[in-house]
Amino acid sequence: MADLFRAALAIAIKDIRVEGRSRTALISAVTFAALVLVIFNFARDPGALPKSALAPSVLWITFTFAAVIALNRSFALEKENAALDGLLLAPVSRSAVFLGKYLANLAFVFVVLAVTLPLFVLFFDVGFEGGLPGILAAAVLATLGFVAVGTVFAAITVRTRFADLMLPLLLFPFLMPPVTWAVQITTRLLSGRPVGEILGWLRLLALYDVVFVTLSLLLFPLLMDE
Amino acid sequence: MPVDANGGGGYMVAAYVVTAVILGGYALMLWRKAKRIASSE
Amino acid sequence: MTTLAKRGLAITAVGLLALAAVYVLALAYTPIERAQGLPQKIFYIHVPAAWCALLSFSLVGIASILYLWLRDPRLDLFAESAANVGLAFSLVMLTTGPLWGKPVWGTWWTWDARLTFTLFLFFLFVGYRALRSAVQDPGERARFSAVLGIFGLLLVPFVHLTVYLFRTLHPQPIVLKPSAPSLPGEMLRALLASLGAYTILMAGLLMTRYALARDEREERDAG
Repeated sequence: MADLFRAALAIAIKDIRVEGRSRTALISAVTFAALVLVIFNFARDPGALPKSALAPSVLWITFTFAAVIALNRSFALEKENAALDGLLLAPVSRSAVFLGKYLANLAFVFVVLAVTLPLFVLFFDVGFEGGLPGILAAAVLATLGFVAVGTVFAAITVRTRFADLMLPLLLFPFLMPPVTWAVQITTRLLSGRPVGEILGWLRLLALYDVVFVTLSLLLFPLLMDE
Repeated sequence: MPVDANGGGGYMVAAYVVTAVILGGYALMLWRKAKRIASSE
Repeated sequence: MTTLAKRGLAITAVGLLALAAVYVLALAYTPIERAQGLPQKIFYIHVPAAWCALLSFSLVGIASILYLWLRDPRLDLFAESAANVGLAFSLVMLTTGPLWGKPVWGTWWTWDARLTFTLFLFFLFVGYRALRSAVQDPGERARFSAVLGIFGLLLVPFVHLTVYLFRTLHPQPIVLKPSAPSLPGEMLRALLASLGAYTILMAGLLMTRYALARDEREERDAG
């Protein structure tokens, strides 16, 4: 068990280091998020629709779409120079490979979140009041689930033609439940509702995490078995 | 929104035709494929 | 032609005949509903299509689980066939739904719970199919699509839950509910007959699709 986590951590650190050298994917994802926020602002008729009505949806769509860009990167890197084969030949279990990739992806997506959230506050002029902890909790719980699914799917789609298109096609249906719940939570918190009202939604997010992280851990090792 | 009993017949006909075309067409496609495979044997 | 393909085609023919009989029964022998008028009769062909789409999706998921366990390529072919047949039924479901909604709800599309749910089912079928066509190696294709099939099977209850937490316009369940079905006898009979006809048709199409895919592959391997 300790070996598993040590190997997973080594893989995650390797990924983060490689990304740290070029920062291409991270800069693209973060710029993408900023651009989407700007476009959303101009795609809204300011007279007809107040910013606050659209804000929760904008936050979640921007964040998750940018996250998908970051996920596309996670295995694309390994494909060059057949590094994936090297990784699979290494004396670590497939579960460790999954966990490592999962941790690295979580790190990237949290960076994307850390940039999206302040930009969102800046561009959409929202005040979180006391709602910030709830929104962060929703973001963390939603991310844990969909990044697990995204890590497995990215490992699949990197081996297909049209990898960059295939990942969103497969992953977007899986984003729908967590994004819907997160938007519900954000809407309530931004309009100053008590925290008690969001506990049910948070529980749903946690359930989604338990189901899909377990499933990812179980099924990822079966993906590559030559 | 209730409609009067005589209205909407066109929608009904369209739905029945579409269903027949999709399911019948799919069956026809399989039948053709079966014939093609049989003739190539 | 192999026996399985022949049998499949025979069952498909029986299913099509049964469907024709359902058309006659539904169009000529069921009463015209007072509030909805003629479009209500779309119900008889729409509900069973949704049932078959959901059934084939479950079959994809179950065959996927069994494939990853037993690694029998036949299970992969079966999952592929079920997804293919399911796509046809979900097309029926998605076209007849709005055709009913326009005259009765006054709009082609609304984000009603069940309508949204069926749309997601359709997206999952399309994604599954797209993935299969994008992977060349048969072993990889089987493993990848099996994993996607299982993920999809588990996503279905979550999507179902999510869409139901929002207000629904859809008619409440009238057949499968705790109390007795609230449909007049003739309407219920027509619906049950249609469910039967659709299920036979689906079994026939699935058998044929599977047998043909298998024959085609054997031919390719031999030639």
